[in-house]
Amino acid sequence: MRFEFLELPGETSALLRPVVPVQVEDLEDAPQLCLIDTGATTNRFGMWLAEATGIDLSGAPESTIRVGGVSTTARHTRADLTVAGVRYDAPVTFCDPWPFAFNLLGQEGFLRFFRLTVCAAESWLELEPER
Amino acid sequence: MRGAVAAGRQRHLRRDESENTIRDVAQFTISGHDFELDRDRVEDAVGRQLPDPVREHYVVVHGRRYPPKQVISCATGLDRADFTTHQARRVLMRLGFQAARVTHEQNPPEATGEGPYGGRQAAALAPFVGKWVALASPTDVLVAADTPQEVLGWLARHNRRASYGMFRVPASLYEAEGLAPQ
Repeated sequence: MRFEFLELPGETSALLRPVVPVQVEDLEDAPQLCLIDTGATTNRFGMWLAEATGIDLSGAPESTIRVGGVSTTARHTRADLTVAGVRYDAPVTFCDPWPFAFNLLGQEGFLRFFRLTVCAAESWLELEPER
Repeated sequence: MRGAVAAGRQRHLRRDESENTIRDVAQFTISGHDFELDRDRVEDAVGRQLPDPVREHYVVVHGRRYPPKQVISCATGLDRADFTTHQARRVLMRLGFQAARVTHEQNPPEATGEGPYGGRQAAALAPFVGKWVALASPTDVLVAADTPQEVLGWLARHNRRASYGMFRVPASLYEAEGLAPQ
Protein backbone atom coordinates (compact mmCIF):
# COMPACT_ATOMS: atom_id res chain seq x y z
CA MET A 1 0.00 0.00 0.00
CA ARG A 2 1.32 3.40 -0.98
CA PHE A 3 1.33 6.49 1.24
CA GLU A 4 2.18 9.98 0.08
CA PHE A 5 4.50 11.97 2.32
CA LEU A 6 2.88 14.50 4.62
CA GLU A 7 3.29 18.11 3.57
CA LEU A 8 3.97 20.41 6.48
CA PRO A 9 4.01 24.18 6.34
CA GLY A 10 7.58 25.44 6.16
CA GLU A 11 9.13 28.88 6.00
CA THR A 12 9.98 28.80 2.34
CA SER A 13 8.49 25.57 1.06
CA ALA A 14 6.57 22.56 2.31
CA LEU A 15 8.43 20.07 4.53
CA LEU A 16 7.81 16.51 3.43
CA ARG A 17 7.72 13.76 6.03
CA PRO A 18 7.28 9.98 5.70
CA VAL A 19 4.27 9.20 7.86
CA VAL A 20 1.81 6.34 8.09
CA PRO A 21 -1.65 6.30 9.70
CA VAL A 22 -1.76 3.86 12.59
CA GLN A 23 -4.90 2.75 14.37
CA VAL A 24 -4.07 2.07 18.00
CA GLU A 25 -6.26 -0.65 19.53
CA ASP A 26 -9.87 0.21 18.58
CA LEU A 27 -9.44 3.93 18.09
CA GLU A 28 -10.92 3.72 14.60
CA ASP A 29 -12.06 7.32 14.38
CA ALA A 30 -8.64 8.78 14.86
CA PRO A 31 -5.71 6.94 13.32
CA GLN A 32 -2.42 8.50 14.39
CA LEU A 33 -0.07 9.85 11.76
CA CYS A 34 3.23 8.34 12.86
CA LEU A 35 6.69 9.20 11.63
CA ILE A 36 8.77 6.31 10.35
CA ASP A 37 12.06 6.29 12.24
CA THR A 38 14.32 3.57 10.91
CA GLY A 39 16.80 4.31 13.68
CA ALA A 40 14.33 3.69 16.50
CA THR A 41 14.35 0.26 18.09
CA THR A 42 10.70 0.28 19.13
CA ASN A 43 7.50 2.21 18.55
CA ARG A 44 7.32 5.21 20.84
CA PHE A 45 3.95 6.82 21.47
CA GLY A 46 2.69 9.52 23.78
CA MET A 47 1.27 8.27 27.06
CA TRP A 48 -2.06 9.98 26.35
CA LEU A 49 -2.72 7.33 23.71
CA ALA A 50 -2.60 4.55 26.29
CA GLU A 51 -5.08 6.46 28.42
CA ALA A 52 -7.33 7.23 25.43
CA THR A 53 -7.46 3.60 24.36
CA GLY A 54 -7.74 2.05 27.81
CA ILE A 55 -4.43 0.25 27.79
CA ASP A 56 -3.61 -0.78 31.33
CA LEU A 57 -0.04 0.18 32.10
CA SER A 58 -0.07 -0.92 35.72
CA GLY A 59 2.65 -3.46 36.07
CA ALA A 60 4.25 -2.49 32.77
CA PRO A 61 8.03 -2.29 33.01
CA GLU A 62 9.22 1.28 33.35
CA SER A 63 12.44 2.99 32.46
CA THR A 64 13.82 6.43 31.81
CA ILE A 65 15.00 7.03 28.27
CA ARG A 66 16.14 9.97 26.21
CA VAL A 67 14.41 10.68 22.93
CA GLY A 68 15.39 13.62 20.76
CA GLY A 69 17.19 15.23 23.65
CA VAL A 70 14.26 14.81 26.05
CA SER A 71 14.32 12.62 29.13
CA THR A 72 11.05 10.74 29.42
CA THR A 73 9.47 7.97 31.45
CA ALA A 74 8.81 4.98 29.22
CA ARG A 75 6.30 2.20 29.95
CA HIS A 76 6.85 -0.90 27.87
CA THR A 77 3.86 -3.00 26.85
CA ARG A 78 2.10 -4.45 23.83
CA ALA A 79 -0.82 -3.06 21.85
CA ASP A 80 -2.90 -3.94 18.82
CA LEU A 81 -1.93 -1.74 15.89
CA THR A 82 -3.60 -1.59 12.49
CA VAL A 83 -1.41 -0.41 9.63
CA ALA A 84 -2.27 -0.68 5.94
CA GLY A 85 -5.25 -2.83 6.81
CA VAL A 86 -3.19 -5.30 8.85
CA ARG A 87 -3.90 -5.67 12.56
CA TYR A 88 -1.10 -7.06 14.65
CA ASP A 89 0.15 -7.24 18.19
CA ALA A 90 3.17 -5.01 18.59
CA PRO A 91 5.57 -3.95 21.30
CA VAL A 92 4.94 -0.30 22.11
CA THR A 93 6.61 2.10 24.49
CA PHE A 94 4.31 4.79 25.88
CA CYS A 95 6.21 7.85 27.04
CA ASP A 96 5.48 10.78 29.33
CA PRO A 97 6.32 13.51 28.67
CA TRP A 98 6.02 13.22 24.92
CA PRO A 99 6.39 16.76 23.56
CA PHE A 100 6.96 15.63 19.99
CA ALA A 101 4.69 16.32 17.05
CA PHE A 102 4.68 12.69 15.97
CA ASN A 103 4.60 9.24 17.45
CA LEU A 104 7.47 7.15 16.14
CA LEU A 105 7.41 3.82 14.32
CA GLY A 106 10.57 1.81 14.86
CA GLN A 107 12.13 -1.53 14.14
CA GLU A 108 10.57 -3.99 16.57
CA GLY A 109 6.96 -2.79 16.46
CA PHE A 110 6.76 -1.80 12.81
CA LEU A 111 9.60 -2.60 10.41
CA ARG A 112 9.64 -6.14 11.70
CA PHE A 113 6.13 -6.54 10.29
CA PHE A 114 6.33 -4.62 7.00
CA ARG A 115 8.69 -4.35 4.06
CA LEU A 116 9.24 -0.67 3.49
CA THR A 117 10.09 1.05 0.21
CA VAL A 118 10.78 4.76 0.31
CA CYS A 119 10.98 7.06 -2.70
CA ALA A 120 11.90 10.44 -1.27
CA ALA A 121 12.46 11.79 -4.77
CA GLU A 122 8.76 11.39 -5.47
CA SER A 123 7.58 11.77 -1.86
CA TRP A 124 5.96 8.41 -1.29
CA LEU A 125 6.49 5.17 0.57
CA GLU A 126 5.06 1.71 0.19
CA LEU A 127 4.35 -0.94 2.78
CA GLU A 128 4.06 -4.62 2.13
CA PRO A 129 3.23 -6.95 5.03
CA GLU A 130 5.97 -9.45 5.77
CA ARG A 131 4.84 -13.02 5.35
CA MET B 1 -44.28 30.36 16.57
CA ARG B 2 -40.64 29.39 16.76
CA GLY B 3 -38.03 31.66 18.24
CA ALA B 4 -38.89 35.17 17.22
CA VAL B 5 -35.91 37.51 17.25
CA ALA B 6 -36.25 41.24 17.45
CA ALA B 7 -32.74 42.38 16.83
CA GLY B 8 -31.24 45.73 17.61
CA ARG B 9 -34.44 47.52 18.45
CA GLN B 10 -32.79 49.36 21.28
CA ARG B 11 -29.18 49.89 20.54
CA HIS B 12 -27.34 52.11 22.92
CA LEU B 13 -24.01 52.82 24.50
CA ARG B 14 -23.45 51.53 27.96
CA ARG B 15 -20.74 52.59 30.36
CA ASP B 16 -18.80 49.72 31.83
CA GLU B 17 -17.62 51.20 35.10
CA SER B 18 -15.26 48.36 35.88
CA GLU B 19 -13.17 48.94 32.81
CA ASN B 20 -13.88 52.64 32.46
CA THR B 21 -14.86 52.11 28.85
CA ILE B 22 -18.01 52.63 26.86
CA ARG B 23 -19.28 49.44 25.24
CA ASP B 24 -21.70 49.25 22.37
CA VAL B 25 -24.47 47.05 23.75
CA ALA B 26 -27.50 45.94 21.80
CA GLN B 27 -30.70 44.45 23.16
CA PHE B 28 -32.27 41.50 21.48
CA THR B 29 -35.35 39.45 22.07
CA ILE B 30 -34.72 35.84 21.18
CA SER B 31 -37.37 33.23 21.67
CA GLY B 32 -39.26 35.49 24.04
CA HIS B 33 -36.23 36.27 26.20
CA ASP B 34 -34.53 39.66 26.34
CA PHE B 35 -30.75 39.78 26.12
CA GLU B 36 -28.15 42.50 26.16
CA LEU B 37 -25.27 41.43 24.01
CA ASP B 38 -22.11 42.98 22.76
CA ARG B 39 -19.20 41.64 20.82
CA ASP B 40 -16.94 41.13 23.85
CA ARG B 41 -19.63 39.25 25.72
CA VAL B 42 -20.18 36.92 22.81
CA GLU B 43 -16.47 36.32 22.39
CA ASP B 44 -16.08 35.62 26.09
CA ALA B 45 -19.00 33.19 26.04
CA VAL B 46 -17.56 31.25 23.12
CA GLY B 47 -14.22 31.22 24.91
CA ARG B 48 -12.18 28.18 24.02
CA GLN B 49 -15.06 26.06 22.77
CA LEU B 50 -14.20 24.15 19.66
CA PRO B 51 -16.35 24.96 16.65
CA ASP B 52 -19.03 22.43 15.78
CA PRO B 53 -19.06 21.24 12.17
CA VAL B 54 -20.18 23.99 9.81
CA ARG B 55 -22.84 22.83 7.40
CA GLU B 56 -23.80 25.94 5.49
CA HIS B 57 -23.61 29.19 7.44
CA TYR B 58 -20.85 30.33 9.73
CA VAL B 59 -19.65 33.37 11.67
CA VAL B 60 -16.06 34.16 12.51
CA VAL B 61 -15.25 34.41 16.24
CA HIS B 62 -11.67 34.54 17.51
CA GLY B 63 -10.58 33.92 13.93
CA ARG B 64 -12.43 30.59 13.72
CA ARG B 65 -15.61 29.60 11.94
CA TYR B 66 -18.56 28.63 14.10
CA PRO B 67 -22.15 27.70 13.30
CA PRO B 68 -24.20 30.80 14.23
CA LYS B 69 -26.53 28.77 16.45
CA GLN B 70 -23.63 27.47 18.51
CA VAL B 71 -22.45 31.02 19.20
CA ILE B 72 -25.87 32.36 20.18
CA SER B 73 -26.51 29.32 22.32
CA CYS B 74 -23.21 29.93 24.16
CA ALA B 75 -23.92 33.62 24.61
CA THR B 76 -27.52 33.27 25.81
CA GLY B 77 -27.78 29.79 27.27
CA LEU B 78 -30.76 29.12 25.02
CA ASP B 79 -31.35 25.72 23.50
CA ARG B 80 -30.43 25.69 19.84
CA ALA B 81 -33.88 24.39 18.99
CA ASP B 82 -35.36 27.66 20.24
CA PHE B 83 -34.16 29.77 17.32
CA THR B 84 -33.11 29.44 13.73
CA THR B 85 -29.75 29.81 12.04
CA HIS B 86 -31.04 32.83 10.18
CA GLN B 87 -32.05 34.53 13.42
CA ALA B 88 -28.71 33.77 15.06
CA ARG B 89 -26.85 35.00 12.04
CA ARG B 90 -28.77 38.27 11.98
CA VAL B 91 -28.01 38.99 15.63
CA LEU B 92 -24.32 38.26 15.20
CA MET B 93 -24.02 40.36 12.08
CA ARG B 94 -25.56 43.27 13.96
CA LEU B 95 -22.84 42.84 16.56
CA GLY B 96 -20.24 43.12 13.85
CA PHE B 97 -19.24 39.50 13.34
CA GLN B 98 -18.38 38.41 9.85
CA ALA B 99 -20.92 35.93 8.58
CA ALA B 100 -20.77 33.90 5.41
CA ARG B 101 -21.97 30.79 3.71
CA VAL B 102 -19.79 27.83 2.86
CA THR B 103 -19.09 27.61 -0.83
CA HIS B 104 -17.30 25.04 -2.89
CA GLU B 105 -14.58 27.61 -3.51
CA GLN B 106 -13.52 27.03 0.07
CA ASN B 107 -11.64 24.00 -1.07
CA PRO B 108 -7.85 24.05 -0.86
CA PRO B 109 -5.92 26.63 -2.80
CA GLU B 110 -4.37 25.84 -6.12
CA ALA B 111 -1.17 23.86 -6.24
CA THR B 112 1.71 26.27 -5.95
CA GLY B 113 4.60 24.21 -4.70
CA GLU B 114 6.31 20.88 -4.49
CA GLY B 115 5.14 17.78 -2.73
CA PRO B 116 2.51 15.15 -3.40
CA TYR B 117 -0.30 17.67 -3.04
CA GLY B 118 1.46 20.58 -4.71
CA GLY B 119 1.61 22.53 -1.46
CA ARG B 120 -2.16 22.34 -0.87
CA GLN B 121 -1.79 20.23 2.24
CA ALA B 122 0.85 22.52 3.73
CA ALA B 123 -1.42 25.50 3.03
CA ALA B 124 -4.38 23.77 4.67
CA LEU B 125 -2.31 23.02 7.77
CA ALA B 126 -0.57 26.39 8.02
CA PRO B 127 -3.26 28.05 10.19
CA PHE B 128 -2.94 25.27 12.75
CA VAL B 129 0.76 25.24 13.56
CA GLY B 130 1.24 23.93 17.09
CA LYS B 131 -2.29 22.50 17.26
CA TRP B 132 -3.53 18.95 17.23
CA VAL B 133 -5.54 18.40 14.08
CA ALA B 134 -7.82 15.68 12.73
CA LEU B 135 -8.13 15.40 8.99
CA ALA B 136 -10.86 13.77 6.94
CA SER B 137 -8.65 13.94 3.84
CA PRO B 138 -5.18 15.30 3.09
CA THR B 139 -6.51 18.86 2.96
CA ASP B 140 -9.73 18.72 4.99
CA VAL B 141 -9.07 19.73 8.61
CA LEU B 142 -12.06 18.67 10.69
CA VAL B 143 -10.94 20.15 13.97
CA ALA B 144 -7.91 21.76 15.58
CA ALA B 145 -7.32 21.95 19.33
CA ASP B 146 -4.63 22.39 21.94
CA THR B 147 -4.74 18.79 23.16
CA PRO B 148 -5.32 15.39 21.58
CA GLN B 149 -8.04 14.71 24.16
CA GLU B 150 -10.01 17.70 22.89
CA VAL B 151 -9.73 16.39 19.34
CA LEU B 152 -10.92 12.92 20.34
CA GLY B 153 -13.79 14.41 22.32
CA TRP B 154 -14.88 16.50 19.38
CA LEU B 155 -14.80 13.54 17.00
CA ALA B 156 -16.89 11.47 19.41
CA ARG B 157 -19.42 14.25 20.06
CA HIS B 158 -19.99 14.87 16.40
CA ASN B 159 -19.69 11.29 15.27
CA ARG B 160 -16.95 12.20 12.79
CA ARG B 161 -14.00 10.17 11.64
CA ALA B 162 -10.52 11.49 10.92
CA SER B 163 -10.03 9.13 8.01
CA TYR B 164 -6.69 10.61 7.05
CA GLY B 165 -5.37 10.75 10.60
CA MET B 166 -4.54 13.04 13.48
CA PHE B 167 -1.30 14.56 14.70
CA ARG B 168 0.14 17.82 16.00
CA VAL B 169 1.27 20.24 13.33
CA PRO B 170 4.93 20.90 14.12
CA ALA B 171 5.75 24.45 15.10
CA SER B 172 9.31 24.32 13.86
CA LEU B 173 11.68 22.51 11.58
CA TYR B 174 13.07 20.68 14.61
CA GLU B 175 9.67 19.32 15.51
CA ALA B 176 9.04 18.29 11.92
CA GLU B 177 12.22 16.26 12.13
CA GLY B 178 10.93 14.44 15.17
CA LEU B 179 12.69 16.48 17.82
CA ALA B 180 11.13 18.18 20.81
CA PRO B 181 10.02 21.81 20.84
CA GLN B 182 12.85 24.17 21.76
